[in-house]
Amino acid sequence: MIPTERQNAGPNGRISTRTQPMFHRVLPANPAAVRDTLADIRLRFRSEVSEDTLGRLELVLAEVMNNIAEHAARPSSAGEGAPSIHLSIVRHDGGLACAISDDGVSLPEDCILPRGLPAMDPEDLPEGGFGWYLIQDLTQALCYYREDQRNFLAFRVPFSAEDGAR
Amino acid sequence: MQFTVIDTDAGLVITIAETRIDAAIATRFKDKLREIIIRHRKPVEMRMAAVDFMDSSGLGAMIALRKALPEDLPMVLQDLTPNVERVFRLTRMDTVFHIRPAAKSEEQKE
Repeated sequence: MIPTERQNAGPNGRISTRTQPMFHRVLPANPAAVRDTLADIRLRFRSEVSEDTLGRLELVLAEVMNNIAEHAARPSSAGEGAPSIHLSIVRHDGGLACAISDDGVSLPEDCILPRGLPAMDPEDLPEGGFGWYLIQDLTQALCYYREDQRNFLAFRVPFSAEDGAR
Repeated sequence: MQFTVIDTDAGLVITIAETRIDAAIATRFKDKLREIIIRHRKPVEMRMAAVDFMDSSGLGAMIALRKALPEDLPMVLQDLTPNVERVFRLTRMDTVFHIRPAAKSEEQKE
């Protein structure tokens, strides 16, 4: 950063930056740890965002992290157990920005390609295949890349009209 | 697994006491209730006011329970909380179950 850009910084190095609530956690990819983490996220953001937004955030993060728990474990040869998830959430003006990485196997590419609901056969209703549809439906700017043995996923959960008055 | 089952003439009334139907319990939830539903073979009313979170594995379990009941017998889902109702609505599964929202919201409108 060039020095002129810092001229307006106050004595603490920041002047007009509003303090935004954040959440960061490193956790093993298993359903119990995911549950505990979701409860802590709810506590952290409960007074900051509407119940509607919190509900959508919780659903998306449950889908992403349980998907890692279910599918990303390496074949037993590594013997290291569940992948490790790193999760960060920051409140922005337009919503909650989320970044999730894990050290499991690669995410299949079709997970993040646009998709519809699983086929609705009334004779044999689908019991799965909803997770990535929900993630895509409830997020904005969903992006994925793989680097150095880790999966990186980022997206935003937008605020709803209920957050407008805040 | 927390739930109670009342066997009435009209059907089974199952009250779920779990607050979350998620990946941590979905399989056990499905297995236990499936066995009960298949054994009784009558209309089912699920009271879900206590459930404040359900993910896609919970939804999959609910669909498996619906499929365990003959198609001509209804499965009514009563008192869904907003977070649970959202999952049924977004996945269009609200067309497969008979969904009755919580009565409380009607009173609040007055």
